[in-house]
Amino acid sequence: MSIGKFLTRPVPPALRFVFGIGSWLLTVAITLVGLAALTFLIGRVVPIDPVLRIVGEKAPQSVYDRVFLELGLNKPLYQQFWEYLAALLRGDFGTSFSTTRPVLTDLLDFFPATLELSSLGLVLGIVFGVPMGVASAYWHEKWPDHLIRVIGLIGYSVPIFWLGLVGLFVFYFKLGWVSGPGQVDVFFQGVVPHVTGSILIDSSLAGEWEIFWNAVSHMTLPALLLGYYSLAYISRMTRSVMLDQLSREYVLTARLKGASELQVVVGHALRNAAIPLVTVVALSYGGLLEGSVLIETIFSWPGIGNYIYSSLFAADMNAVLGGTLLVGCAFVFLNMLSDVLYRTLDPRSR
Amino acid sequence: MRLYKTIVAVALGAVMSASGAIAETPKNTLVIADAIDDIITLDPGEVSEVAGVLTSQQIYQPLVTFDVSDPTKITGVLAKSWEVSPDGKTFTFKMNPDAKFASGNPVTAYDAEFSLQRVVLMDSRISFILTQFGFNADNVKDWIKATDDSTLVIQVGDVYAPSFFLYCLSSYTGGIVDSKTVMEHVVDNDYGNAWLKQNNSAGSGPYVLGKWDPKQSILLNRNENYWGAAPGVDRIFIQQMPESATQRLALEKGDIDIANKLQPDDFDAIENNPDIKVLEGNSSTLYYFGLNVRNEALSNPKVVEAMKYLVDYKGIADTIGRGTLNVHQTMIPAGFLGAIDYNPYTLDIDKAKELLAESGVTLPIKLETVVWNTPPYTEFAQAVQATMSQAGINLDLQVVDGQQWLDRYRSHDLDIWVGLWGPDYPDPHSNVKAFTVNTKDTPDGSEGLADRFGWDAGKLSAEAMAAVREQDTDKRRAMYEAIQKEHTNSSPFIYMFQDARKVAVRSDVKGLVLGITYSDDRYGGVTKQ
Repeated sequence: MSIGKFLTRPVPPALRFVFGIGSWLLTVAITLVGLAALTFLIGRVVPIDPVLRIVGEKAPQSVYDRVFLELGLNKPLYQQFWEYLAALLRGDFGTSFSTTRPVLTDLLDFFPATLELSSLGLVLGIVFGVPMGVASAYWHEKWPDHLIRVIGLIGYSVPIFWLGLVGLFVFYFKLGWVSGPGQVDVFFQGVVPHVTGSILIDSSLAGEWEIFWNAVSHMTLPALLLGYYSLAYISRMTRSVMLDQLSREYVLTARLKGASELQVVVGHALRNAAIPLVTVVALSYGGLLEGSVLIETIFSWPGIGNYIYSSLFAADMNAVLGGTLLVGCAFVFLNMLSDVLYRTLDPRSR
Repeated sequence: MRLYKTIVAVALGAVMSASGAIAETPKNTLVIADAIDDIITLDPGEVSEVAGVLTSQQIYQPLVTFDVSDPTKITGVLAKSWEVSPDGKTFTFKMNPDAKFASGNPVTAYDAEFSLQRVVLMDSRISFILTQFGFNADNVKDWIKATDDSTLVIQVGDVYAPSFFLYCLSSYTGGIVDSKTVMEHVVDNDYGNAWLKQNNSAGSGPYVLGKWDPKQSILLNRNENYWGAAPGVDRIFIQQMPESATQRLALEKGDIDIANKLQPDDFDAIENNPDIKVLEGNSSTLYYFGLNVRNEALSNPKVVEAMKYLVDYKGIADTIGRGTLNVHQTMIPAGFLGAIDYNPYTLDIDKAKELLAESGVTLPIKLETVVWNTPPYTEFAQAVQATMSQAGINLDLQVVDGQQWLDRYRSHDLDIWVGLWGPDYPDPHSNVKAFTVNTKDTPDGSEGLADRFGWDAGKLSAEAMAAVREQDTDKRRAMYEAIQKEHTNSSPFIYMFQDARKVAVRSDVKGLVLGITYSDDRYGGVTKQ
């Protein structure tokens, strides 16, 4: 695991820390290179011809051949991959032919939109999902439990694009409570300078509150849907973890000592349940950060999911690899974050 | 619990306060919903995707154009007049002295020379529209030449019908760029391609490129220096909104003005909405089944003929098309020179069975049929599969993604391709060449659909080339009429439908001219009242 194990003499804590970081970085590097290699291979195996996508079906053979050479597709696969990695180490993600821009520019443009939406979705998922899971476990097999489980089951099993369309129909079209597809209304497009890429943050920075609220109203429905989707998972997992905790003897002890029910459930059981829940939440966040292609399509949301999806179907490998690596990094980061949270929450692992 | 309540209150408050937003697009902005995520360039020298061409048509202008309601009428745009030499090989254009670019520079013959030459010199993917006249990198500097500011002389490699050459110049390949501006931005001998591709424009049309956010939106601003009648709106905003149902809701709500990607279901739903009108136009797109005659059974003409009787043309048009399809069984679309009203086939299972019995093939036959996973192709394919199976022809439907669909047909690796064809310019030759001319007869050695499906068109191929060289329009029309009947009867193409163009717009949108293809709509005269 850590390089420290290969040394026989005891290592000073400072050095051990450096080794720890070093081995962690190595693991991350291997993970990302592996991910890139796999994506690269899949991208080359799928039966889509990037040259055809660029030149179109009517172009003569000479044009086809020229573009084939320009893309370097005549080189052996390992060489193409090696050249990609070498460029990557120089910070060059390559250019996406389907947007004509550097991939890095694209990612900085598309990822914030997903980050913003999924973070909101996750917050909603936690804020509603955890209390629902707790309630469900507390009133086990009683009506609140049944109700919450049905709500969760619907979120789990109903296709999200259907919920999206129905949501648009009811709340946007019929009731007019929220704005429709897109990030902001047309007349607000391009008004706010691009700083972070998050429309909520950028509009607040610019003091454009009208745009801020307009963006909120555009975001409400997709965020609620993503929230509902993660709520379904989080509440279910919370329920099962809480059921386990509530049947432990320390809960009985706490009750015997005269602690209030709120203290028993929240102060004791939920506190212990929080440790496995961190993993659950990190996983659902990771899932959301990949971007939901269906939600992004229905809500015309310029997110990373659609970016990777449409790039893949155009065999635009630089874009797909860049997007995949970014999502991979997000997972690595979330993993690290949940490790840190583990240590804070669980005294034994300190 | 208090926190919980606060959060709910804040969330609800946000929703309520935002609901009072303006539910209408601004009067000076035209908002169009479309699928724009496939655009990879906006340089008129290489633009080719539907929405890309649509955008570039608002920015750049050709030398000549045609009347969309009658494509046989050709009129000048940047060229004021033209003459054809008696031998039919030299075209002399006089430029329109009023025309100027968005930069304020006048449009000269040198700009036209530069723009047309660069398409050939860049070896662009759409250069085939020009190179079929014999231009190549070696001769184009001599063959396309400005002799002074107002005169452009173009020499073509062989004798062709003058209208054929003019139509090719009217297509998206023929957009003229401001050579002075573009030359300032040439990098590595790229003819300004990198500069024109993404963020910049240098045209003379009613609009200039504001900003293109790939896969998200395109903003066009009014050309303040426009030399024609000033456009009716200040901005055009094209938003990526690929989903038909979403487009419909946004259109009904007034958040968009034009919905370019509505499906028949959604047209039904807006039928009675007084705030919306549906414009109808001519579209030249044809839907067909291409049969690969490399397959032994399909090489038997009786089998091919039988299959033409195994399609319920009318039924499909009525139930699947619902007003968006017209039965059309010839290769030249209605509205073009030489188009005829000739639909000899109807669903006739008994007749088909008879023909199959005569053919001597052993039934049932299984045929690999490649279908794009998009409406209406999947619906067509299923309907045809049902009727064909009644006579013992089993279609093995392979529903694939669009790129794979194209790939399979390019590599000839299939029995049947469910396809579409949209002409690149409104001359019958665009279609006739594709469906009839074999590689050996083409001047540029390009592969058309006939060869792609393994079909030797025999004398029809030579006749088609003779028709495009005919100088007399009436004779040319008669030649096409004759070729088409023969072609419909004997070719391995089952022509089924011609698209009937329908576009839904808000009622206050006036002056939209629908073109003859999806990428040919003209927004220059649109106003909102």
